[in-house]
Amino acid sequence: MTTLLILLPIGAALAIWVLPLNPVSAGSLAVLAALVEVGVWMQLLVRFDFDQTGLQFEQHRNWFSDLNVSYHVGVYGFSVWLIGLTVIVMAAAIAYAFWVGREHVRAYMGLMLLLDGAVVGVFSAQDLLLFYAFFEAMLIPLYVLVGVWGGPGRLGATLKFVIYTMAGSLLMLASIVVYGLSKGTFDLVKIGSSGSDWVFLGFVAAFAIKAPLFPLHGWLRDAYTESSPEVAAVLSGVVSKAAAYGFLRIAITKFPGPASDFRTPILALAAVGLVYGALLAFRAPDLRGVIAYSSLSQMSLITLGLFAANDLGFDGSVLQMVNHGLVSATLFLLAGMIERRALTGELGRLGGMARGRPFLATVLMTTGIIALAVPFSSAFAGEFLILAGVFQQGWGWAVVGAVAIVLAAMYMLRLISAVLHQDPGPAISDAALDLRPAELGIVVPLVGCLLALSAWPAAISQHSFAGDHPKQQVTEAFR
Amino acid sequence: VVVGAWICLLAPLGGALTVTGAGLSISRRTAAYLATLSVLVAFGGAFTAFVALLGRSGGDREHVSTAWTWLSGGAYRSGFEVLIDPLSVMMMLIVSGVGFLIVAYSIGYMDGDREERRYFAYMALFVFSMLLLVQGGNLLLLLAGWGMVGLSSYLLIGFWHERPSAIAAAKKAFVMNAIGDATMALALFVVIKRTGTLAFGALGDVHGSWAVNLIALGLLGGAVAKSAQLPLQTWLPDAMEGPTPVSALIHAATMVTAGVYLIVRTHVIFEAAPKVQDLAAGLGAATLLLAGLIALVQVDIKRVIAYSTMSQIGYMFLGVGLGAYANGMFHLMTHAFFKALLFMAAGIVIHALAAEQDIRKMGGLRQLMPRVYWAFLIGALALVGIPPFAGFFSKDSILAAAMDHGAYGYVLWVAGLAGAFLTGLYTFRMLFLVFWGEPSPFAREHFHALKNDVVGVSMGATVGVLAVLSVIGGWLQFAPVWHPVETWLETVAEPLVSPTNWQEAVSSILAVGLGAAGIGVAWLLYGVKRRPVPRAAFWQRTLERKFYFDELYDALFYRPSAWTARAFGRLIEQPLIAGSGRELGEDTRDLGGILARLQTGLLRTYALAIASALAVLAVVFVAVK
Repeated sequence: MTTLLILLPIGAALAIWVLPLNPVSAGSLAVLAALVEVGVWMQLLVRFDFDQTGLQFEQHRNWFSDLNVSYHVGVYGFSVWLIGLTVIVMAAAIAYAFWVGREHVRAYMGLMLLLDGAVVGVFSAQDLLLFYAFFEAMLIPLYVLVGVWGGPGRLGATLKFVIYTMAGSLLMLASIVVYGLSKGTFDLVKIGSSGSDWVFLGFVAAFAIKAPLFPLHGWLRDAYTESSPEVAAVLSGVVSKAAAYGFLRIAITKFPGPASDFRTPILALAAVGLVYGALLAFRAPDLRGVIAYSSLSQMSLITLGLFAANDLGFDGSVLQMVNHGLVSATLFLLAGMIERRALTGELGRLGGMARGRPFLATVLMTTGIIALAVPFSSAFAGEFLILAGVFQQGWGWAVVGAVAIVLAAMYMLRLISAVLHQDPGPAISDAALDLRPAELGIVVPLVGCLLALSAWPAAISQHSFAGDHPKQQVTEAFR
Repeated sequence: VVVGAWICLLAPLGGALTVTGAGLSISRRTAAYLATLSVLVAFGGAFTAFVALLGRSGGDREHVSTAWTWLSGGAYRSGFEVLIDPLSVMMMLIVSGVGFLIVAYSIGYMDGDREERRYFAYMALFVFSMLLLVQGGNLLLLLAGWGMVGLSSYLLIGFWHERPSAIAAAKKAFVMNAIGDATMALALFVVIKRTGTLAFGALGDVHGSWAVNLIALGLLGGAVAKSAQLPLQTWLPDAMEGPTPVSALIHAATMVTAGVYLIVRTHVIFEAAPKVQDLAAGLGAATLLLAGLIALVQVDIKRVIAYSTMSQIGYMFLGVGLGAYANGMFHLMTHAFFKALLFMAAGIVIHALAAEQDIRKMGGLRQLMPRVYWAFLIGALALVGIPPFAGFFSKDSILAAAMDHGAYGYVLWVAGLAGAFLTGLYTFRMLFLVFWGEPSPFAREHFHALKNDVVGVSMGATVGVLAVLSVIGGWLQFAPVWHPVETWLETVAEPLVSPTNWQEAVSSILAVGLGAAGIGVAWLLYGVKRRPVPRAAFWQRTLERKFYFDELYDALFYRPSAWTARAFGRLIEQPLIAGSGRELGEDTRDLGGILARLQTGLLRTYALAIASALAVLAVVFVAVK
């Protein structure tokens, strides 16, 4: 079933590239494939046994047997949720691309589906080289998607993105080779832990660039602003989670010694990024700038929870990965919808969109208040667990986190008001429509997921690691 | 018991969701009726739970009902659960009862507003949030309700979202409250760390003065933010930008008193941290004086009432800070009646005068709207604490409790008495300016009376009910003779102070005397002849500027953080981080250019390179060997 989840979108991508389809049928096929993918994931969710510790839906084939490289895939409890996040956000992004009508639709849809399969591969690969292959397979479609279909500054944005992520990937590849050869296997389940600082730092560098963590976020602003909104949604919603997943699955589990030695500097970088991102989000002049920097802030928070390295931190981080993925994807899609109406994302030129546009106002307001983690929302639940966890590492970290909560309220309310309230801005004409049914069909399911999680955040936090002791699992069972 | 409590909690949520979901398919009036009905059902549920509790003995009055595990992390669990005990039932009755009257009043007040449906959805959402706050069966759900009332307050203050001032006020209220949420969350982290759970019972298991003081301080931070006490008080007057029924419901009767509820609910931890307890009482006393002074110079009718709310909540903080829990809660209840009455009567005045709120333009309204005048007068007398109106019974007991708390208690006692004088003065200044004398030209020109239709009935009848409650509500407890409220709450929170009848009598006589003196001074200044606000330039300016708190916070917090954000952007983000990619790119290209020059295409260059490389290798090889 895991293999099916990986191959289904990749197969659909090849079909769209090969078959001589017209744009409408190519788009429909892509949306259909993405929805079937969601259906397959639901099957996985229903059949998954959350009380069992080990790997499930495991598949294993030898690849290069002399190097002990194998095609080995399978899922843990937390991977189930991350795969779910991926397939849902990808389906919404593909549907939005189809609705907007991107040029060269066959190429575009194929790349999006390829990305879908690659990210699912990252979350289920249990072999280091396979993991690396999927990690790269995920980046290549992104380079093209940003570079070809992006905005006016797309070339600069792509260049930065490529340089940053290539540097990270190369360091990770070096780490994988050293680590795997020294252990005689690349299988993540069998490989055992290592104490090498350098190998650990190689992995951390790759994930810290991808997440991103301060100060390695140089690519973020342009990539999130210049790409098309659905690509930005996928980048910040899903692809960044591959980095957080890497921290959890590889850096922390496989390198217990270095992870604990480098805990303080990593927590410090995360804490700086948390406040720094929030402050820049508060000053950012445009919609996507606010969302981009809030993403930096949120990914720092997730890292904070992971490196708190205790029960509360792990459970909270997984929950928050899903929350932030949904929130940030919804916000980027909404930003795209607003930009289509206003032809600009500058906050100063927007405003007054609530009057006469009840659907837009309701959806944006709901997403925004979940994004600022108002208590009783799922984002609050995630942040609460993370900060309660990191509080046990030292009260100072949690105080920084609490400051960031207040800042989050400030930048998110600023964004909401700038779009919805007061008099209409110069870019908003009376002809600017409310959300169309198709657009609602894309964002409402995402918001619905968030509301459902708000009613029951324990759905994820209780079902990410079997039993009541995530830390024990991470430090013993997964090693 | 349990069923009633769940109905009480979920009915308003259902109302809010129905109105939102139905959208434009129902008429505005239907939306209003639906929301009102949902709150009435909630009151029915609360009443059922109350009757069921009455039938049980004192020890059997606490129930927790868990629906599902809401949040978990490792072994820690918090359920989605309701707590039914005398304290929460009392709050449920106040919230849903007064809430129902105010939502019903809104049917008339909001009639004709284009976005009436949104208003009623928000109101129902607020009632749900407030019930979640008081019924939540653990600290986490209490915090969840805490945040949700802040959210609905934000939505309702900013309801008229075309007004920049309304949006600014809404944001300010939300951010101030977020500060309180954050300190509460920190307190909860300490509780989790020490006990591994967030059940209310866990508070009793926390030991060590560091932890206890920190938790109490964190909770107090949340309480002062929500209840607009010093030092987080500045958002409340601005919140008057919202529609008047919102001010009555959220910013007078229910939400702003949540801090008092919180202290009573978590009194175990405050009793273990007596210094924080004294701090709470002291903040209450300081706020009641400060707010009373500022109220003297306000010219907006709603702001005068808003400052009186701050001041009265100061009394409640004073009471519960001293451990007079039942007295504080009793004052919370009577205050809900008479303050809602004042706001709603003021709402009728505003409604009748084409949305004018400036009391200098009003005058002589007694002749134009006599019934509203009587309702307002009842509310004002109850506020000042003149017997037999409600405020007398509840406020004076708090003052008496202060006398039973040593020297510090006497300081608070004097502050409370001074506050009583101020209350009389500013309340009747407002009353005389608005209702006495000859009708002002403005009032004559703009006045239009309420008609006897749905609008008039919904506003008139609800104000009438509250007027009755403001008279008889206080008779529920008369400290020296009978005290059912105290007995009711005994199982939840034992009072720490027990004033003697002599102390009760002295406090009552002095408070009533000073209140009456305040009324007398107001009558001399504003009743006999109409004179403008007092003229003492420095003090007047200080008061009108609300002791410069807004300016202070602007300079202390907002500007530095905005400045830091700008500095980060200019000094770090732009040159070092955002620019890094471009420089990296350029450097790579330059390097490529240099390397490209090596490829000359001339055979002799390559031959030279190969030869020199071989030579170097040979040297290295020899050297190594």
